[in-house]
Amino acid sequence: MLNSRNTAGSRRIYTGVRALANWGWPVRLPAVQGREAFLYTRLRFLVVWQVSRLNGVKREETEMTLVQHALQSAVYELADALDANELYQQRGWTDGLPIVPPTEEHVRKCLNAAGLAPGDIVGVESVRQRPITAEKVAINAVMAGCLPAYLPVVVAALQAVCEEDFNLHGSTASTGGSAQFIVVNGPVRTAIGMNATHGVFGNGNRANATIGRAVRLVLINVLGCIPGQLDRSTLGHAGKFTFCIAEDEEDSPWPGLAQERGVPSGTSGVTVLACEAPRQVMNEWTHDPEEILETFAAEMRHNMLTYSIWPGNYALVLPKQLRELMVAAGWQKRDIREYLYRSARVYRRDWAAVGKGNIVARGGGPDQEFTALRSPDDLLVVAAGGPAGGFGAVIPPWLGSRSRAVTRAIAGAEEKGEQ
Amino acid sequence: MRIRVLDPTVGEATVTASAAAGLQSLAGCTVGLLDNGKLNVRQLLDHVEEILRARHGVTVVVRLKKPDASRPAPAAVLAEMTECDAVISAVGD
Repeated sequence: MLNSRNTAGSRRIYTGVRALANWGWPVRLPAVQGREAFLYTRLRFLVVWQVSRLNGVKREETEMTLVQHALQSAVYELADALDANELYQQRGWTDGLPIVPPTEEHVRKCLNAAGLAPGDIVGVESVRQRPITAEKVAINAVMAGCLPAYLPVVVAALQAVCEEDFNLHGSTASTGGSAQFIVVNGPVRTAIGMNATHGVFGNGNRANATIGRAVRLVLINVLGCIPGQLDRSTLGHAGKFTFCIAEDEEDSPWPGLAQERGVPSGTSGVTVLACEAPRQVMNEWTHDPEEILETFAAEMRHNMLTYSIWPGNYALVLPKQLRELMVAAGWQKRDIREYLYRSARVYRRDWAAVGKGNIVARGGGPDQEFTALRSPDDLLVVAAGGPAGGFGAVIPPWLGSRSRAVTRAIAGAEEKGEQ
Repeated sequence: MRIRVLDPTVGEATVTASAAAGLQSLAGCTVGLLDNGKLNVRQLLDHVEEILRARHGVTVVVRLKKPDASRPAPAAVLAEMTECDAVISAVGD
């Protein structure tokens, strides 16, 4: 009888510990601090105490107490999901579109998928010294419609925009109205079902749509990037709802963007760029790589004259139809970058043709030359788009090199892919 | 069944700085003029400097400049500002 009780008690305790592990608590001990450290200590005490007693005390009550204390966010009780959406809309906690109610259960699943404790700091916006906690990331990701398996990508994108090079505050507050273009590479793309082909900039794919949206909701709700408040965009663009794609690595012989920028092959990575709206171009009238790229160069020159002259990270998105012509001619991504570095240039005098004659005589004078790229490496070449059509895109930087593209490996993405 | 949802926002950051006491007069003061790096701000501040010296008795004007309008002033520039009785941060364009 005694043995039977002990076995039953042990199983209950094991189940309790398993449950705690599933919540992501306390998986990362070094990040546990302050109040959470106290709770963790308390949890250990309870577990040890239960093991010593082995008498089947109600584990569920202990677990629930711990969960409620571990999350710091205020809780609102409402009639249903529609009422929850109305509350969030009224308080300006969305991008204007409906949200998925962020319940504790869903937030916990997201934290677990990212391998983060609620209090872990994902990143800090350095100018206003605003930390972004994992708990708030998970809440906003649930609201955006993310599945838990998307969280490693969301977290990596936020870590990337918090790097000094990205200049998050400047690029999000500016009248220039930039969005974050997010490019995902590596095994996580297929594991979470991202789209890299048909309508890649458009609607239709949950992972693409909600990962970009989650980053935007974090900017709104955690950093206060609200139009007319901290976000001073004159126009902004549709990418501010979401602007996230995968690179079509399966249908491209070229190395992925993240691999070109230092992420090891076989490891997932994310690249972020503070950008203006994509400019679609088309050339289906030649097989010559140089002629194809001249169409892109013309768009880059046009952007330099009509929007911003300053050199920085442009992104170039090449669809399969154009890629195949490049590949057949033996061109690599490096060749594309070097060609466009040479070709995408304008002179100060060219401004006279676009209504900016007043500034032709300034600076270095009419013959002053400007390049779109500071070096060939400034160009981000991405293979993406549907299989038919010679439509590509030039994605201009927000303001030259004031914000620089950042690439990061995605931690823990592969193990979470099947969730 | 009712639904319980979590707040996605954070509270306002704690304010640790306090406002300096206002100056009764600018006469004899050192005033810093911070150029935010945008076009035309230099001309604007030239004019401000003239007014400060001619009409308000400002004796020392420290001209400061941010190298990048979209980033905070560097630490060295901030340190120079602390030597001033007042600073005007100007936005050009």
